[in-house]
Amino acid sequence: MSAVGKNLPHDSAQGHVSGESIYIDDIPPMRGELLVDFYYVPVSHARVKNVDLSAAWQVAGIVGLYTYKDIPGHNMFGPITADEVLLVEEEIEFMGQPLVIIAAENAAAIKKAKKAIKVDYEKLDAILTIDEAKACQSFIGPVRRIKRGSPVEAFLEAEHVIEGTFRNEGQDHFYLESQAAIVYPGECDQLVIHSSTQAPSEIQDVVAHLLGLKMSQVVCITKRMGGGFGGKESQGAHPAAMAALVALKTKRATRIVYNKDHDMQVTGKRHPFQNDYKVAFSSDGRISALRIELFSDGGAANDLSSAVMARAMCHSDNAYFIPHIEVSGTVCKTHFPPNTAFRGFGGPQGVATIENIIEEIAAYLNKDSLEIRKLNLYGTKDRNVTPYGQFIQENSLPEIVEQLEQSSDYRQRQEEIQRFNSESLTHLKGLGISLVKFGISFNTKFLNQGNALVNIYLDGTVQVSTGATEMGQGVNTNIKQLVAGEFDIDAEDVIVMATSTEKNNNTSATAASSATDLNGNAALNACKAIKQRLAPVAASHLASREIDMLPSPTTIVFENNEVYDYRRPGTRMTFKELVRKGYLERVSMGERGFYATDGIDFTWEAGPEKVASGNPFLYFTTGGAVCEVTIDRFTGETKVDRADILMDIGTPINPGIARGQIIGGFVQGLGWVTTEDLRYDEDGLLLSHSPTTYKIPNIQDTPPVLNVSWLDRPCAVNVKGSKAVGEPPLLLGISVWVAVKNALRHAAGTERIPELNLPATNEEVVMRLAEIDRDLPGNRSRKTLAGLSSSPAPGDESPKEEALPLEVPV
Amino acid sequence: MRDYLLFYVNGREHKVTGEHVFLPLSSYLRYVVGATGTKVVCEEGDCGACSILLGEVQGDDITYRTVNSCIQMLYQVDGLHIITIEGLKDQGRLNPVQDAMVACHGAQCGYCTPGFVVAMCGLFDGKQPACIKEIKDALTGNLCRCTGYVSIIESGLEVATENIKSLRELYPSEPIRKELTAATSQEVELSAGNKRVYIPLTVEQAVRFKAANSSAIIISGGTDVCVNMNKRDYDPAIMMSFCRLEGQRDIVLDEAGKTLLVGGTATLTKLEEFARDNVPELHHLLWLFGSPQIRNAGTLSGNIANASPIADTPPFLFIMDAELELTGSGGTRRVCITKFYTGYKQFDLKSDEIITRILIPLPVATDLVKLYKVSKRKHLDISSFTAALRISLEGNTIAKAAVCYGGVGPVILRMYRTEEFLQGKPFSIETFSKAGEVAIAEITPISDVRGSKEFRNQLARNILLKFFHETRQSRREPACLP
Repeated sequence: MSAVGKNLPHDSAQGHVSGESIYIDDIPPMRGELLVDFYYVPVSHARVKNVDLSAAWQVAGIVGLYTYKDIPGHNMFGPITADEVLLVEEEIEFMGQPLVIIAAENAAAIKKAKKAIKVDYEKLDAILTIDEAKACQSFIGPVRRIKRGSPVEAFLEAEHVIEGTFRNEGQDHFYLESQAAIVYPGECDQLVIHSSTQAPSEIQDVVAHLLGLKMSQVVCITKRMGGGFGGKESQGAHPAAMAALVALKTKRATRIVYNKDHDMQVTGKRHPFQNDYKVAFSSDGRISALRIELFSDGGAANDLSSAVMARAMCHSDNAYFIPHIEVSGTVCKTHFPPNTAFRGFGGPQGVATIENIIEEIAAYLNKDSLEIRKLNLYGTKDRNVTPYGQFIQENSLPEIVEQLEQSSDYRQRQEEIQRFNSESLTHLKGLGISLVKFGISFNTKFLNQGNALVNIYLDGTVQVSTGATEMGQGVNTNIKQLVAGEFDIDAEDVIVMATSTEKNNNTSATAASSATDLNGNAALNACKAIKQRLAPVAASHLASREIDMLPSPTTIVFENNEVYDYRRPGTRMTFKELVRKGYLERVSMGERGFYATDGIDFTWEAGPEKVASGNPFLYFTTGGAVCEVTIDRFTGETKVDRADILMDIGTPINPGIARGQIIGGFVQGLGWVTTEDLRYDEDGLLLSHSPTTYKIPNIQDTPPVLNVSWLDRPCAVNVKGSKAVGEPPLLLGISVWVAVKNALRHAAGTERIPELNLPATNEEVVMRLAEIDRDLPGNRSRKTLAGLSSSPAPGDESPKEEALPLEVPV
Repeated sequence: MRDYLLFYVNGREHKVTGEHVFLPLSSYLRYVVGATGTKVVCEEGDCGACSILLGEVQGDDITYRTVNSCIQMLYQVDGLHIITIEGLKDQGRLNPVQDAMVACHGAQCGYCTPGFVVAMCGLFDGKQPACIKEIKDALTGNLCRCTGYVSIIESGLEVATENIKSLRELYPSEPIRKELTAATSQEVELSAGNKRVYIPLTVEQAVRFKAANSSAIIISGGTDVCVNMNKRDYDPAIMMSFCRLEGQRDIVLDEAGKTLLVGGTATLTKLEEFARDNVPELHHLLWLFGSPQIRNAGTLSGNIANASPIADTPPFLFIMDAELELTGSGGTRRVCITKFYTGYKQFDLKSDEIITRILIPLPVATDLVKLYKVSKRKHLDISSFTAALRISLEGNTIAKAAVCYGGVGPVILRMYRTEEFLQGKPFSIETFSKAGEVAIAEITPISDVRGSKEFRNQLARNILLKFFHETRQSRREPACLP
């Protein structure tokens, strides 16, 4: 009856639906608690000449105003390189960079104090585009490379070569619970921090470092987040550190809760990329060589940018074998808030680039792009090694493509769409397919470790604590099922507790989709150790002198809330009885488990070339999606009519939770490629900083037909045959963008390759269609607006009585 | 005169005075009452996380609607019964909506979930199962970032409606109704610090107060004003809340059946229901307008008086030459909407006047009428561009044309030169294509967060072609029912 594989509800579902689940700002205020916020100068780049706090100090209710000079430890920190200041010293490097921490008795005082702070500054030139950064060589870290074969020679021999630049914009996480933390000061400068973070150990480390405390003086607790998506991997540290500084200084509890506008304005986003590519291919569409120069907008500090770039580089091949390849990655330093982790972590930006290249090749050769994909797909027997040298084990991509082509009726629908587009005067349809091969494990080897604490209580119920943090993705439910499955007890008898650095130390962020893999394995290791101690207790209890059955711990079976010796299955004790017996016999029923992923290694060469190679990933999660869109030719309104998703996610620990990750990730990707449009003014001020102007998908945007399935195939190398599923489905949202590009191809005819930026907003679509219209010969196609207006055929001026063209009801 | 607010929360009476009166309902619930199940994300009515059910005494009964509590100030809920997420369990047990959300993985991170559950409980209050469209329409005002919504829709389909207890069963109306009716027969005036609020019962009282306090801000649905208070430091000293204003809520047809008479505090939801059979184009437009939570609170007069150049309803009013009935101390006068706006956020309304009625002549059977709202996201978005077109034909010739664009300049624009160009021309693609050039010369769009100037110019052309294609197809289908 193992709990593993069961479709159980999320472990917090009951609390969620009744409003009883507690988030940071739901915690009742402590006596004397202070509100904390920060002041920043709304300028992207400036030199600070003077900060005058005298008027702000006069505001009633203000308890503290702190600048960098008040930081007791260090001002510099960063998750990879310590290149970021918590509080501005002399140079403001992005709009939203904290300058003064404000602590007050109430929110009104903070508001007044912000207006009373006077900063004298000199505006400096700001770098606000990748092109500007490239022009002044403003980069973070070295240029790094992945290389295989001889691309230069391959280009010389190529039948066809296409060059181009692909741009994708950023994306806001739009977690519903904005950044938040509460800090309780304790005795001897100890601090307890409640943070909405994906990385409690990182918060602990950053706070101790900045405040000059020992890490052992700081505890960070995370019960849950109201969404994270990567946005709380490194950037939860800033609010927590600010609240901690005030708590340490005032010895009062502190609370910091960003509002949504503030959160969107001051935090980093998914990295925009601008990638130059050159691809060589044969007349049938087989790619022989590819050179991609990836440039990301890292913002003003590294944050996680170099790691994001590494993943983007490792995903520039996506599902396709490219014999001669060179990928370079450069992180641009600009004057935006440091861009950060976001579900996919560079993967989407790499994959969108190669998927676009496939579309360009298909358009160039006037072929269906699925044909090009199949021709270049990673093989099972050969053509199955990545550019960085990792052999792709159990490659399921060919199977996925074959099944998806059938189940989505790809061929027939492509024909129907062709017909529709030739007849409709008002709408355009497109069909797109995109694939994903997402590497699982942190690229950085040392992060691939986890630990867990398992405690069994006298009534046989279990508490589990791990370094994994719960942000809705269901990691706690997965771990609960793994632990219940290991003892084979009811899942209701296992509770996964709040994450705390007091119980689990030196943990990796809940990221890289691998929280269940790392922490679940660690929890299982703990369970196994306890079982090993309980087995002898059971063995002696179940042994029988009458039938000469000596105690035998190795033949003890835990099954269905009971324990027995398989030599005599008729005699059983309950798990609860065994626990009670174990206690009386002074057996330890708590265990800390540890897990480190085996067999992974990935290094950047130390030389000037910085070429990377190795096996960064334990395995790949793969999948594909076929998407159909209908576009209003006049307004650019784009509807996703149908999506078919097929993935290889192993055998999920909880199929309902896995399905939720697939659909949720896909729709988040759909948002990235369509309506989520970060707009800035020329000074770098974010204009779309709340849901009024920043449009994540709405319930009405959910495709009316959404078929989701996965191959029934356990993963050989991961916990209970499962595969990580958090990030990969987001990349399948790219199929929507591919479908829009496909629709434009129908509009453009065969002469040209339509350009399309990402996101394909209604504006982008309308302007691209207008561009296509302008360039087309007037009477070439009735499909286009200009074609209709510039040279109507004689007699076409008035509507005819004949059957009207196929139109789509609005 | 009463000097405190009276309302109910989850069946319990609340009397409020002092500065709490001026809090958003969501803040009152979370930080004064300590009911933190109601979540606040955007503070501007655009995410639905703070959804609550607002019960209003109507006759012998209390009827409930879902609204955003972040943009309902406490003085807007006087005399109402508020049901929050904390009040939806049935005797300590999850209700069938909650059960379905648990079983179908309708919640992931859980932060939006209370809002979804509240909106769904509103939907299923009639104990009837809902189809996918009804579920989506009821939840358009709620954003979720985790689930991709599918599991929430599936939850809606799985609700055991036969086991649902209606809100009237959970909270018997009679005692609450009795208390509220008794207490709310008086006007309310109260103040705290430098702020004052007045809650009139009649138009006469409202006009008298407005005449005496010309700076008083009228708050009816509050869906725009309260956003400005939450977000843009808008901090008026004197407020007049229309939450108890009598005789202004109705929408009726005049005796001839040709003109729609919309009361000053009639909600957009009511107009949407009314338009369903009478003006399908308007009904469609209102379906795209904001969200159920917004339409349940917001009013047509508020959409007019907010004077936004991208307001969704005025273009329709413009092409129908709707009239506004304005009531002030000197009596009542009427102004045609096309003459109402005098500049960006400026209009012909005297300081003692309020909009008491909107008179909308309905399209006649031969009119070709289309209303367009172009926005980045189709639902729950503010328009980048709006348009309303009304054409009547004689044979194949355009006899009369009314064209109105929004989002192309500081005010909503009746496109007289484009109209003039169209009139007398054949109803052809060429006519509408050339009209696009005339239209572009008539407008002055800017680039902003909702779209570039170039995009808006392109839309100004495209929408005329869209109109041609759509009406060409439906020319024999009248724009309204006879």
